[in-house]
Amino acid sequence: MFERGKKEDGMDDASDFRPAAPQRSQAPVSPKTATQSGECAVIGRSIQINGDVRGDEDLRIEGDISGTVQLKNSNLTIGKEGKVRADVYARSITVYGTTEGDLYATERINVHINAQVRGNITAPKVGIEEGARFKGSIEMDQDAVDKALGKASMQGMNHQSDKESKVAPAKVVKEATSLNRPSGAG
Amino acid sequence: MSSMGRATARAPMEKPEALKAPLFRLLVEQLDGAGRRHILDLGAASTPMLSLLGRSRCRVEIADLASDDGIARMNVEETSGEELAAMAESLLPAHHGDDDALDLVFCWDLPNYLKAKPLSALMNAIAARARRGALIHALIVYSERTMPERPGRFVPTDDVMLVNRGAAAKEIPAPRYSPDDLRRIMGGYSIDRVMLLANGMQEFLFRLQ
Repeated sequence: MFERGKKEDGMDDASDFRPAAPQRSQAPVSPKTATQSGECAVIGRSIQINGDVRGDEDLRIEGDISGTVQLKNSNLTIGKEGKVRADVYARSITVYGTTEGDLYATERINVHINAQVRGNITAPKVGIEEGARFKGSIEMDQDAVDKALGKASMQGMNHQSDKESKVAPAKVVKEATSLNRPSGAG
Repeated sequence: MSSMGRATARAPMEKPEALKAPLFRLLVEQLDGAGRRHILDLGAASTPMLSLLGRSRCRVEIADLASDDGIARMNVEETSGEELAAMAESLLPAHHGDDDALDLVFCWDLPNYLKAKPLSALMNAIAARARRGALIHALIVYSERTMPERPGRFVPTDDVMLVNRGAAAKEIPAPRYSPDDLRRIMGGYSIDRVMLLANGMQEFLFRLQ
């Protein structure tokens, strides 16, 4: 389900925004996260999730997600096959597929050719490639971005607190997940 | 004004030339250093435009009116005034009250592709979302009798000129709206400034009264 996969060749996705792996030659080495090892978690194309996805590593979505996606300190790529009907929070968001919902990024949002985005975008830097389809508002005013991201963060924390007892402390967590069922049915 | 008719073939376009649009440049210069602005772009989103607007404090709404056959649907002859008003509402971003009022609207060449009644309905819907004194920027076909069959995809260059990256090869008759036509169609707006551009279009700035 949440496969570990190296990024496909030729896809200039969120790797542009990934910081260099920390250089700690003498410090004790902790197990590498997917981000540090240059890999990212992948939600495959046959996977449908109805609920919240949270995590602290880079993620690529090729499946169908309804709910919210929160990767506050990591990069999210919505692949060509990905369909996300959710509010999304991440460090950077790169869209090749379809999204319906608001997108929040602390660094950057890129919408690529043939992507379809319907909703509002909040990020200090936004790129929309020719051939992408976008309808909605784009907030680039830094004060408003900070305010929106702060508010969104608080909402995320409250939401997390509400669900705390139900959420396993996994790197990527799903709730009310329904596999191979039409989204909205669960 | 003539109605929009059948398309005729046109010689393939070479690399599009950058067009000096003094009123567009003026608007961009005024945005620099101004307070927060709320802008509506009726065209498709483009990275050059967002980069340009991103220099100032602004929120940009993208309506992309030409997508989903928005123009064709509004131009259907038998549509009533009420239906046109509702359609214009549905094509524009949601309005959240006076705090959210529009300061500036980029129409580009879109008015050329709307008949008088739909254009009037669209401008009324925009007026309901805009603050008094808001500016509307438009490019109206003036000298040429024909125009590309679809609206262009205008993007700004680094030196704040405009390039049409999406000019269609086929041409249709242009409505050639005159200033008097536009005053009549766009009740509630006044013509602030007009410039004739090198490509034969007129660049208009309308102001909401």
